[in-house]
Amino acid sequence: MTGGGFLARNIAGFTQALESVVVTEDLCHAPGLMQGLDPRIKVVTLMLFIILVGLAQDFTLLIAIFILALLLVLLSKIPIALYLKRLLIFIPIFTAVIAIPALFITPGTPLLSIAGKAVITAQGAHTAGLLIMRVVDSLSLGLLLVFTTPWTKLLQALRWLRLPSLVVDILGMTYRYIYLLLHTANSMFLARQSRTIGGFSGTENRRWLGRALVTTMVKSQYLSEEVYLAMLSRGYQGEIHTLNELTLRRRDFIWMAFALAAISLMVWSIYL
Amino acid sequence: MHIPDGYLSPATCGAMYVVSAPFWYVAVQRVRKVLTHRTVPAMALFSAFIFILMMFNVPLPGGTTGHAVGGTLVAIVLGPWAAVLSISVVLAIQAVLFGDGGLTSLGANCFNMAVVLPVVGYFIYRVISGNSDVNSTRRLVGAIVGSYLGIIAASLVTGLELGIQPLLFHTADGTPLYAPYGLNVAIPAMTIGHLVIAGPVEAIVTGLVFFYLQKSHSALLSREASQKSEGKLWFVWAGALVVLAFATPLGLLASDTAWGEWGAVELKKALGYIPQGMTALSNLWHAPLPDYSVQGMGDVVGYIISALVGIAVIGFLLWLLGRWISRKNEIKKNRSSMGGSAG
Amino acid sequence: MISLDNTLIYKAKDLYYDYLGNIPALRNICFNIGAGELVALVGANGSGKSTLLKILDGLLFPTSGELMAFGTRLSEKILETGNLAAEFRRRVGLVFQDPDVQLFSPTVWDEVTFGPLQLGISKDEVISRANETLEVLNISSLRERPPYLLSGGEKKKVSLASVLSLRPQVLLLDEPTTGLDPWSQGNLIDFLLQWADKGKALVFSTQDLDVVEEVATRIIVIGASHDIVADGMPEEFLSDSDFLLRNNLIHEHSHRHKELVHRHPHLHEHMHEH
Repeated sequence: MTGGGFLARNIAGFTQALESVVVTEDLCHAPGLMQGLDPRIKVVTLMLFIILVGLAQDFTLLIAIFILALLLVLLSKIPIALYLKRLLIFIPIFTAVIAIPALFITPGTPLLSIAGKAVITAQGAHTAGLLIMRVVDSLSLGLLLVFTTPWTKLLQALRWLRLPSLVVDILGMTYRYIYLLLHTANSMFLARQSRTIGGFSGTENRRWLGRALVTTMVKSQYLSEEVYLAMLSRGYQGEIHTLNELTLRRRDFIWMAFALAAISLMVWSIYL
Repeated sequence: MHIPDGYLSPATCGAMYVVSAPFWYVAVQRVRKVLTHRTVPAMALFSAFIFILMMFNVPLPGGTTGHAVGGTLVAIVLGPWAAVLSISVVLAIQAVLFGDGGLTSLGANCFNMAVVLPVVGYFIYRVISGNSDVNSTRRLVGAIVGSYLGIIAASLVTGLELGIQPLLFHTADGTPLYAPYGLNVAIPAMTIGHLVIAGPVEAIVTGLVFFYLQKSHSALLSREASQKSEGKLWFVWAGALVVLAFATPLGLLASDTAWGEWGAVELKKALGYIPQGMTALSNLWHAPLPDYSVQGMGDVVGYIISALVGIAVIGFLLWLLGRWISRKNEIKKNRSSMGGSAG
Repeated sequence: MISLDNTLIYKAKDLYYDYLGNIPALRNICFNIGAGELVALVGANGSGKSTLLKILDGLLFPTSGELMAFGTRLSEKILETGNLAAEFRRRVGLVFQDPDVQLFSPTVWDEVTFGPLQLGISKDEVISRANETLEVLNISSLRERPPYLLSGGEKKKVSLASVLSLRPQVLLLDEPTTGLDPWSQGNLIDFLLQWADKGKALVFSTQDLDVVEEVATRIIVIGASHDIVADGMPEEFLSDSDFLLRNNLIHEHSHRHKELVHRHPHLHEHMHEH
């Protein structure tokens, strides 16, 4: 029976997501370098770095960006183990699996032959390496943003970047209720697990899953109506007004100067 | 199907943001018009639900498991425009907070999963279900077939985006700079996985949820009736046509005539075999209109005609399927009512 | 437009409310509530207390009958937009029973500033009010926290804070003490008694007759048939165990005293001295 495994797998997934929300929240308020920066500056500079990663065509630059990211992780007091765990899990491994065949099938100059049969080409090694480094770099920069910026500050930055306020409001509220529904779903699975002896058949599990999803959907619909009333009760009239308390400080300008200098230098190195 | 950062060139990423932008714009306008002040809480809570749905690990018969996207389901319950908005929100949160899918590739991911998937899925659902009753089997079949084909269409487009990378972006000596596989690898790799695993997961989840909604919460399903009465369905149709027109030439691209620096032969040399789906796909598309170009016309015109013919054929087949199911239902109903009167 | 009638706040006349057009939630509700009153709404689960509070907050509108607030008849149209709507929302605050409904903003600070900001109060004033409210409730340390990472008790406090920052004249509370430990419950009761004065009014629903006894100056009992079965001073009814039993507000309980089994109505656990 796969029943027990199915429940355990789902519970593990939900628990992990719940934990990651809590851990991220704690890190965002740690007294580190990036935490102290204005979210608008952070979003813009880190996005520029990520675009730069996309433009980069050689390893030196990609490795330089990786070292910079690593340095920022350390200065922002992000536990390196946690960072590496989030960085290396899934995506780079997945990318490596994707990249390996490219070593062999990319046509080009032979570099190395394994067992006299499969041939790794120089171009193959280059393309696979580029792909993996790019993924690692982009993810590092993304993690830096997420681990050092509370959701509400990120929303303020998006608002400042002229994302329609309706979309920002939806993003803000969605994240808040994801946590609640994760809990709801998790407790449904836990309740089923506690009643499970010997597991259920695949069909039974699928049916139960369908009903669990319907229950969650109905709950989300009910909540949306209630939340609407709660908003209305406190004066909401179709548009959420917010305080904009962001102010630039000296450190923001220092960081911005540094980041822009680094980015210009790197762009210059690409097109030289 | 979440494309991470680094797989697509910045140019492709930019282009995909541009392609998605009008859909986002219209979606925001339409949703605000229908839901008015309720937009924020309604979209937020439904998006949170979709997030949870995507996290569910679904067991398939045979032991494999997978995750659904639920795009067609959202489109059925909330309407296609709300689906575009709500899935985009979920994808953005996944990308930012959970590192699932990239930031630069967000435009592409949204186009694939938040535009192509729900629009195609909903379109097919509408065509199959016709004017049938909310609780009919015909609608259930529509939801299942729609969700399956919706995710396949999305995977085709994803394969296309990945597959054009080595053709467009490579160094002077031919080294691909981004995703390394051409269309002839990327498209079959994406679609076969979705035909066999992700598609069935999507269909099962959509089917089950739809079935239980029919049984106990059919009010949630009949809401779309109000959307229909607005007479805005034509836009969905148009959107679906655009998307299908987008997806149809993939057959042309997959066959190694126009593109393909790595033709099937080279691939065979490297891998020792050619993915079966690839030959099957190219044969399939070669069948009715050889090489996709009608004699005596330019390639572009030929392609457009081929796309339109393809759409017409698909539409007709779906309509037939819908008719067939409703006929079967009627016969069943007649039989049961006859049985009732006899008893 | 709202007349400043300082003594009479609500005047409900023959209120009926049906869910989904045919499921009765409230029937034939009539009462007046004046400034200075502390009203407990009591009734079994599903009797319609939450619905009544939402009607008093202008979120739902009676199927028939009329509700006057501050001398103006409440209707969907009046509360849609404009000064009148803003003035009503500022004066009347409802704390929902479920804090997950009440707390929808990204952080506690966003939550407490939400109400005043929507009502167009100046930013400096909003900030000073929010800070003051957090201090009064002793939750300033929670400022930056997202609501989903709060404990149950903290959520209840922030819910209350989110409404108090509006400085309402009328406070509507749906089951405010549910889920609170006895210590927090005591604190809340102290706070409410301090908050109340001659110009304000409090209407709260509860199942806890202890709280009624400590806070309320008036009790309105809604029966299983969704109408008012009693309205008056709490002392009149709280001592009438037959009445309480009849309306499912207490339950009969068996106890064993040595070898003797006896039955008596059950009021509060701590009243038993066995």
